[in-house]
Amino acid sequence: MSLLQQIKNKVRSKSIHVTFVDVGSCNGCDIEVLACLAPRYDIEQYGIYVHNNPREADILLVMGVMTPQWEDKLRILWNKIPDPKVAIAVGNCPISGCVFNRRESYVDPPVSKHIPIAAEVPGCPPRPTEILNAILSLAPVVFRDYEEKMK
Amino acid sequence: MNLSVIWYLREFLSFEWVHKFLFVKTAPLTTPPYFRDYPLLTGKECTHCLACMMICPVPGGIEVLMTREDACHLPVTQSRPPGSDTWNPVIYPGHCIRCGLCVEVCPEGVLMSGRVIEFQFIDNTAFTSTFQLEVDHTLCMRCGNCSIACPVNKEVDPALGGGAPPSSMESVMLVTGGELKILNEDKCTGCKTCETACPNMAIRVVRQVEGIHQEDEEE
Amino acid sequence: MKKLVDVSIPIGPVHPCWKEPVRIKCETSGERVLSAEVELGYMKKGIEKIMRGRPWQEVMFLAERVCGICSVIHNMVFIEAMEEISGISLPPRAAYLRVIVNELDRMQSHLIANFSYCYTIEHETLAMYLLDVREQVLDQLERVTGARINTAYMIPGGVRFDLMEEDSGALRTALREIETGVKRYMKMFSSGPLISLRSRGIAVFSREDAIKARVVGPTARASGIPESDLRSRHPTYIKLGFQPVWREEGDNFARVMVRFDEILQSIDLIQKALDTLPEGDIRGGGICKAGETAYSGEAPRGELRYFIKTDEYGRVVDITIQTPSIMNIEACTHSMLKGVTSLADVTSTFISADPCIACMER
Repeated sequence: MSLLQQIKNKVRSKSIHVTFVDVGSCNGCDIEVLACLAPRYDIEQYGIYVHNNPREADILLVMGVMTPQWEDKLRILWNKIPDPKVAIAVGNCPISGCVFNRRESYVDPPVSKHIPIAAEVPGCPPRPTEILNAILSLAPVVFRDYEEKMK
Repeated sequence: MNLSVIWYLREFLSFEWVHKFLFVKTAPLTTPPYFRDYPLLTGKECTHCLACMMICPVPGGIEVLMTREDACHLPVTQSRPPGSDTWNPVIYPGHCIRCGLCVEVCPEGVLMSGRVIEFQFIDNTAFTSTFQLEVDHTLCMRCGNCSIACPVNKEVDPALGGGAPPSSMESVMLVTGGELKILNEDKCTGCKTCETACPNMAIRVVRQVEGIHQEDEEE
Repeated sequence: MKKLVDVSIPIGPVHPCWKEPVRIKCETSGERVLSAEVELGYMKKGIEKIMRGRPWQEVMFLAERVCGICSVIHNMVFIEAMEEISGISLPPRAAYLRVIVNELDRMQSHLIANFSYCYTIEHETLAMYLLDVREQVLDQLERVTGARINTAYMIPGGVRFDLMEEDSGALRTALREIETGVKRYMKMFSSGPLISLRSRGIAVFSREDAIKARVVGPTARASGIPESDLRSRHPTYIKLGFQPVWREEGDNFARVMVRFDEILQSIDLIQKALDTLPEGDIRGGGICKAGETAYSGEAPRGELRYFIKTDEYGRVVDITIQTPSIMNIEACTHSMLKGVTSLADVTSTFISADPCIACMER
C-alpha cells in the first residue's frame, strides 16, 4: 500500500462529510438527524460534519418515501456527489415505505430502486444513536483503500 | 454593546465552561429502559391466535411463522431447549414502527418491549377486538372463493381441503341459494384471507378494536 | 413600461436553512424583495387518500405521520374527533395525561422552531443550547410515552400508559431544570444586540394584515390576536386556567419570543396538571360509530382541523385535514416577505413563521 493511500485512509476516517436529502418523509427522521448535532450526541466529536452541499459530501442520508417529484432529481443529486460516495437510508420509509406503502398512495418506495443504498437504519424514526452508529460503522469499511479497490 | 462583550467573556472564560470544553466527553450513548424498542420474545409459548398480526398498523410488520426459535430475527430473552418447530412471531425491522400494539394485544405475553408489559400488568389494560364481515351483494359474484380460502372453514370442514364444495353450516360463510351468507360471524379471526381471495373486492373484514380496563380475573 | 424587477431568485428546494424541500421564488429589485411565491409539491404522499376505508387503529398511525414534529397533536385531534362522533366519554385522568403529553410535544416543537431561527441568523451557540434543552424535553416525552417522536399515546376513550408516581417526580425535577435553561436562553435572545439587529423590526406583520391573511398560531399571536389560541376553548385547558400569551410587534423577534413564552406557559400547565392529576382509570372503552364531524385543536403551529366521516363500523369514509402551516406559509410569502430589505432576511423570515412542509402537503 502506498504512503499516499495510508494518508488518505487516515484523513478519511477522521473527516466524514454528510449531506441529507428529504424525499418525502414526515419530518420525524429529519429532526432525529438534526438531534445528532445536539451537544448530547455531538456528531462532530467523531469528525462527522453535516453539510447541505452534495458536492462536498461523502455520505448521503436519504429520508422519505420517494415522492413522484423526486424520481429524477434524486439521481441528479446522487451524481453530483464526488467519489468515494455512499448512501444510507434512514428510517423505515426509504426501506419499505412504512405506513405509506399502500394502494392509492403516490409514493414509490424503496429508494434502492433509484440509487444504490449501502446501509439501512430501520426505525420510525430511528434514535440518533442508531443513525450515528450506522455512519460510524459504515464509513471506515467503505472508504478504506478506496483507490486500491478501484484498480 | 460593551456590556454584551463582557457578558460573553464571563460566560466563556468561566472555569466551568473551559473545563467542560476541554475535558468533558459526551455520556455513553445508552438506550433508556423505558424506550419501546423492537419487541423481543419472552420465551412463553405462542398459541397462533394471530392477534398481533391483526392489529399491526403497518403492511408486513409482523408475521407468525412455524420456525425454530433461533431462526427468528429477534434475540430471545429466555431460550427454550432447541427442538422442534413452534409458532413464533417474527418482527421485520424496516417495516415495524415500534408502536408496541402487538405487545399489548398478545393474550399470552409472548412479546415484550420497553415497559409496555409492566404498565399493562399494573393498570390491567387490554385491547379487545371484534371482527365483522361486510358483503357488498351488488359486487359479489357468488364464486365461493372466500368460503374455500377461509382458514376457519378449513378447520370446521376438513373435506374442503380435498376439493369438496363447502357445505357445513358451521362455517363462517357459505354460498347457498344463490347468495353469499355470513353464518357464524363470531368465528371470524379477522385474517382478511377472504378479502385477498375475493376477485371483486366484494367482501370486507372490519376490525373493531376497543381499549379497555380488564375485568378482574376469576382466580 | 418601467422595469421594476431586476432578478428573480429561487431559494430551494434543497437549502441549508430548511430541512424539507420547498422552493421560494423572490422577485427582487437590488436586494429588496418585491414579491415572493412559494412552490410546493415535493412532499405529497396522499395520506388522506390512504386513510379512507380504514379503522381508527390504522388511521391513528397515519395521522401521526402527517407531521413528525407535532405528531402528538395530530394523534390527539384525530382521536378526539372520533370520540366526538361516537359519543365516547373520557376518564378525567386520561384527559389530564393527554394535556401533559401534548404540552411536552409543544415544548419540543417550539424549541426546534427557535433552534432553526437561531441557526438561520447564524447564531449557532444559542441554537445548540436550545437543541440541548430539547433533548431534555424529549427524554421526558420518552419517559411518559415510551417513544421520542411518534408516540402513539392516545386511543379512543383514554390513553395507553399510566403515569407512575416515580415518573411524575422525575418529570417535575426535569421541568424545573428545563425552566431555568429556557429562561436563561430567553434572556440571551432578548438582550443580544446582534440578534436584535437581525430580528427586531424585520418583516413586520400588522394586526390588520394578520386578520386579512387568516394566520394562525404563534404567528398570529405575535401580531396581537390572542383569540387565535384554540386551547382556551378546550375543556381540560379551561379547567387548568389557561390564558393565551401574545405580543403586539408582529416582527420576527416577536414571533420567536411568543414561542419562548409559550414554552414557559407549557411548563406551568404541566406542573398544574401534575398537581391536580385526578386518580382513576385511564381507559373508558367505547367503540367508534357512524357520524360526521369537524374538530379543531391547537397545534404548535396553529389551528389544526379534521373533517371526518365514518361508517357504522367506525371506519373512516371521508377525511380532510386542514393544517396550520398552509395559512402561515401563504401569509409569509405574500405579506411578510414583501418589502424585506435583504435576501438574508428572506430565509430567517420564512423560518420565523415556523413552516412545516410535511404537514402542509401530507
